Amino acid sequence: MNWWITKPGATATLAGPGSFEETVQQNIMLTSVQSLLGWGRKNSMWPFHFGLSCCFVEMATSMTPKYDVARFGAEVIRGTPREADVMIIAGTVFIKMAPIIKRLYEQMMEPRWVISMGSCANSGGMFDIYSVVQGVDKFMPVDVYVPGCPPRPDAFMEGLMLLANSVGKEQRPLSWVIGEQGVIKPAKISMKDQRYEKRQEMTSFRSPDEV
Amino acid sequence: MEKPFDPTEQLVLKFGDIFTRQTTKDDMLTLWLPLERLKEVLFFCKNDLRPTYKFLYDLTAIDERPRKREPDYPSEQFTLVYHLYSYDGNQFLRFKIALKENALSAPSITSFWANANWYEREVYDMFGIRFEGHPHLTRILMPLTWEGHPLRKEHPARATEMGPFRLWDEKQDREQHALQFLPEDWGLQRHSEDSDFMFLNIGPQHPGTHGVIRLVLQLDGEDIVDIVPDIGFHHRGSEKMAERQSWHTYIPYTDRIDYLGGVNNNLAYLLSIEKLAGIEVPERVKVIRVMMCELFRIASHLVWYGTFAQDVGQLSPVFYMFTDRERVFDIVEAITGGRMHPNWFRIGGVAQDLPIGWEKLVKDFLNYFPKRLKEYDNLVMRNSLFKARTVGIGIFTTEEAIEWGVTGAGLRACGLEWDFRKKQPYSGYENFEFDIPTGENGDCYDRARVRVEEMRQSLRIIQQCMENMPEGSYKADHPLTTPPIKKHTMKDIETLITHFLGVSWGPVIPAGEAMVCTEATKGANSYYAISDGNTSPYRMRIRTPSFAHMQTVPYISKGYTVADLLSILGAMDYVLADIDR
Repeated sequence: MNWWITKPGATATLAGPGSFEETVQQNIMLTSVQSLLGWGRKNSMWPFHFGLSCCFVEMATSMTPKYDVARFGAEVIRGTPREADVMIIAGTVFIKMAPIIKRLYEQMMEPRWVISMGSCANSGGMFDIYSVVQGVDKFMPVDVYVPGCPPRPDAFMEGLMLLANSVGKEQRPLSWVIGEQGVIKPAKISMKDQRYEKRQEMTSFRSPDEV
Repeated sequence: MEKPFDPTEQLVLKFGDIFTRQTTKDDMLTLWLPLERLKEVLFFCKNDLRPTYKFLYDLTAIDERPRKREPDYPSEQFTLVYHLYSYDGNQFLRFKIALKENALSAPSITSFWANANWYEREVYDMFGIRFEGHPHLTRILMPLTWEGHPLRKEHPARATEMGPFRLWDEKQDREQHALQFLPEDWGLQRHSEDSDFMFLNIGPQHPGTHGVIRLVLQLDGEDIVDIVPDIGFHHRGSEKMAERQSWHTYIPYTDRIDYLGGVNNNLAYLLSIEKLAGIEVPERVKVIRVMMCELFRIASHLVWYGTFAQDVGQLSPVFYMFTDRERVFDIVEAITGGRMHPNWFRIGGVAQDLPIGWEKLVKDFLNYFPKRLKEYDNLVMRNSLFKARTVGIGIFTTEEAIEWGVTGAGLRACGLEWDFRKKQPYSGYENFEFDIPTGENGDCYDRARVRVEEMRQSLRIIQQCMENMPEGSYKADHPLTTPPIKKHTMKDIETLITHFLGVSWGPVIPAGEAMVCTEATKGANSYYAISDGNTSPYRMRIRTPSFAHMQTVPYISKGYTVADLLSILGAMDYVLADIDR
């Protein structure tokens, strides 16, 4: 795509290298309703104001200026599950809290997604202890797992973007007459496998003895 | 510090020779007394002993059954432990009561000590010890549907020992039903003479509660008649966890107790352990530790500052304050490699020496931050709306604060100049010049003022650390430090074996008991560590400030409105993991 800037006070004729075809390309978009909805969902994921423990502080940090999750359209925090699109299980899933988490999840309207943030929510992490559920996926579905204890705000945002990309590709056929029923989600990817090559290339590291 | 005063003589004069003395590693006076005299002795200590022990610092229990005991250790199967503290005498006093397994019951002291209520409920929940005369002895941390008492040794520790977790629909309904609040259970009226009360449920999921806690409000219109807090939604079993971790590998768990306080938790834990092990740390270690603790104190206070302003309706300050918190974390990250939970202190030292170039980072921050604090004064503290929401709200007096076990900024806001860094200095705090900021009115505004001033004092301490950083090792030269010292291992087989055991099993800390009280970011925090000469603690009791603070909420909120309650909670600065552990 070509673009140019007009100076204030310049005459109406533009000196750009644009053509008729290009102008049409920039103004008309052909798409299916499904993809359009996917694009809209992808770019405005409203998180539920929900936090359990330490991870929630890092999740809140991602909304502050240094990280600024608003860049990805996810800064509209909703106080009620009925208005939220994505629930972030930020922290330890306690046995006493599990029925409440499930209830809150059930109160969210479709389409809805879940990010499991941090080791505790992923698998229980370091808290293999009587009062902690060993992973939130024991009683509800999870779309993205973000590792870390707690994950840095950057890691959380990467998880959010991975989810957004997957949401953009999600298919929700209208009826079995047209095609398959239900939600067709893209296959989950393993970032660990995807980054294997790159990780192997990392051989020299900065010394921790210097700032 | 002057020589501690010994009240044993007065106690023996009054009650006769009923006490058995136990020596502990922390030199705290520890007396065993018979169960039937418990109530009168404690009442006497609170009111008539000189100096008076007005503050019930902690109340807990120990399951003694499988413990390797010294023959002169006068315990039965269970032991109750009462920690009292005297503000007049600046000293602790520890009472222990032996309980037989077939008679697990003790008289309640709630009739004369308000804050014993939750502590007794916690002991009941965790050990199944009953307290006769307690107004409402039910579980406090575990769900009401729970079976067994987790801190008893026969209760499983791991979730994986208890079978996979399932939440089928009937169970979901049963648990939800158990959460149903019935005012009659708590002795609350549904009507007054001229009005019906409304019961409002706040939490466990609510943006204003800063985490998973539930408060049930009894309301007359907009006015709060009573509150029943329901805690335990954040119970992570940290005390039980200690009983299976090695002394060294328990350090990361302490990070996550007060998860905003970072290394302050490490320090409270390690001071007790180093006392047990008899480790003297080098001067450099002390100063590095103090510097990191004060940086975390600023980071924690910044979170409180921003969220408190947000609680009372100011949306923008939190964005400024979290940005400054990132600047603190830049330093923390350069030094420790971590952010919130650096897990950087070690038994007998710290993980590694300060990196080259740390002074510049600290210096830049010291130059940068005071200006910002001044700006925040204009933004928040001098804001008339902020004042309207906080001045004269949630008032309590020094006497009430002591009765309810309030410590930290809440206590200082009442006007009592009390800071354990000054009064019982640890880790070399006696060498630093700093003031203890106090308030006068004991309201939410004064609590905020005290914390803001504390950040300035922390900056002073950090500056002194930076200017006077001693040379030397970052680790003590002691066989029980972790990770164990390696320099001799490649020369003779004995040290190689010792090193191998020290790395694989962890150090064996000598048998004994110790507790050191520290001034954490939120108040008095301590780890009462008991070793029976093993590679992991026999019992680890964590006394956290937020637990005591949360217990005061019903008392101080009565008569205020619902909106004021949010100010009171915000000004309290609690962390859920610090309440439920």
